[in-house]
Amino acid sequence: MKKKPTRREVLGHAARGATLLGLGGVGAALVTKTHKVMGWQLDPAKCVNSRLGATGVEVCELCSTECVEPLSAVRAVNEFSKCGRCYICPAYFNIKSAINEEGLPSEKLCPRDAIERKPIGWIDPYDPANNFYEYTIDETKCNGCGRCVMACKEPAGLSSIRLEVRYDACLDCNRCSIAIACPDDAYDLVPVEPA
Amino acid sequence: MSFPRSRISVLAFIVFLTMPLAAAFAQQLEYERPVQAAPTEESIGEGYVTPKVQYPKPRSLWWEITDVVLLAAALGLGAWIVLVRRSRRGIVVLTIACLAYFGFFREGCVCPIGSIQNVIVALVDPNYAMPYVVIAIFLLPLVAALFFGRVFCGGVCPLGGIQELVLLKPIEVPRRLDRALGALKYVYLALAIWFAVQPAVDRDFIICRFDPFVGLFRWAGPAHMLMIGAALLLLGFFIGRPYCRYLCPYGVLLSWVSRISWTGVTITPDNELDCGLCAEACPYGAIEKMRAVRSSCLSCARCYHSCPRHRVVFEGMQEEAVSES
Repeated sequence: MKKKPTRREVLGHAARGATLLGLGGVGAALVTKTHKVMGWQLDPAKCVNSRLGATGVEVCELCSTECVEPLSAVRAVNEFSKCGRCYICPAYFNIKSAINEEGLPSEKLCPRDAIERKPIGWIDPYDPANNFYEYTIDETKCNGCGRCVMACKEPAGLSSIRLEVRYDACLDCNRCSIAIACPDDAYDLVPVEPA
Repeated sequence: MSFPRSRISVLAFIVFLTMPLAAAFAQQLEYERPVQAAPTEESIGEGYVTPKVQYPKPRSLWWEITDVVLLAAALGLGAWIVLVRRSRRGIVVLTIACLAYFGFFREGCVCPIGSIQNVIVALVDPNYAMPYVVIAIFLLPLVAALFFGRVFCGGVCPLGGIQELVLLKPIEVPRRLDRALGALKYVYLALAIWFAVQPAVDRDFIICRFDPFVGLFRWAGPAHMLMIGAALLLLGFFIGRPYCRYLCPYGVLLSWVSRISWTGVTITPDNELDCGLCAEACPYGAIEKMRAVRSSCLSCARCYHSCPRHRVVFEGMQEEAVSES
């Protein structure tokens, strides 16, 4: 025979049921807010490193230093369709460094050696200055400091490099610490394509 | 050869010629761009194909689903260990596993404590988009608390876990001081809500910003937060879980819900000895009058471990062995 529940038990069940309903209600209210997935992204039109007409400004490098991750989620990206494939790429070489015996600047600009340079297309070994060179950024090394972005700005370069947030590396902080530090307010939450 | 290519050649040749001169005179290169526009696939030649731009990879939803599944599993496992097995050792193993995964591997994000703010923002701001994962992460520990008490605190929460593991020499906090400090978490919750309901420009997520242990999980962060985290851990050697008991805003919600939980930690295994060893063993002051207080019990299972009757009933120890010790 089933024991008759005490008043205490009945009240307990009622309270639990009510709380469960309340939590369900909150959940349902929240589900209506899930219309899109948002992620932090940087607007190249606002960023001082990539914005045109802002030459002679110090590279800010905050994208590489302010992220909460040890290796920032920001990467430099080379838009190949805009890249001039220069013999002496101002973003690859430190063009102020001494010239070596090959007639090329002896130092690279990238502090982490994240850019790879290789000749492409029709190659004339006796005329290296006339060949085209492809510059690929290694995303496992790049930390988004933006020096290459700055150096590739017109008129020295064709502004083919920009900075972007990598969503798979981004922790999606409620308040992005780079966004707080960014002097140009170039960071914003934008809709992200789900996987 | 097409016209642009030859013009490029001439320009480049001039640059090439001037290079040794520049090197000789100034050891600095006057760089002049040989190309005024990006070369096309045809001008590059040899069947060159422009490679695809490295577009941002989509967010991997996979990890987030894994987080939710593991959180649910850990809550279920924690409830079973505490309420059925009553095993302190089991809880320690679960704590270490969850600290390793949710803390050090997933770097303390996403967590239910911070999700309070997202929930509040989503409820007041019509433009705010709420990820499904965060809803699940927010609700799961509350539902678990409604049935089994604060099992999330006991073995799953990485912030609690790191404090649980450093608690080596617990001292009792005077009850009155304990109560007074306990009021801080309500203030913290109120502040978190206040900053979350601000319009988007002034909004702040203080729970995340002043999360004391996330810096340790990531091994990076502002120096002052790392120092506060280290100080709380040092304090945690002697005072059981200072963050959980006096600051955690999610703990407020969990204590409300667990007050009416369906079941929870009950110390008595069979016949009670009235020895008070359990109350002495509880570093969180959650045993009053020999009974676990559900709203403040953190499901750590220390009381079971200290109970002589419990060893007889649950660990198969012989009665003689107990009376000898």
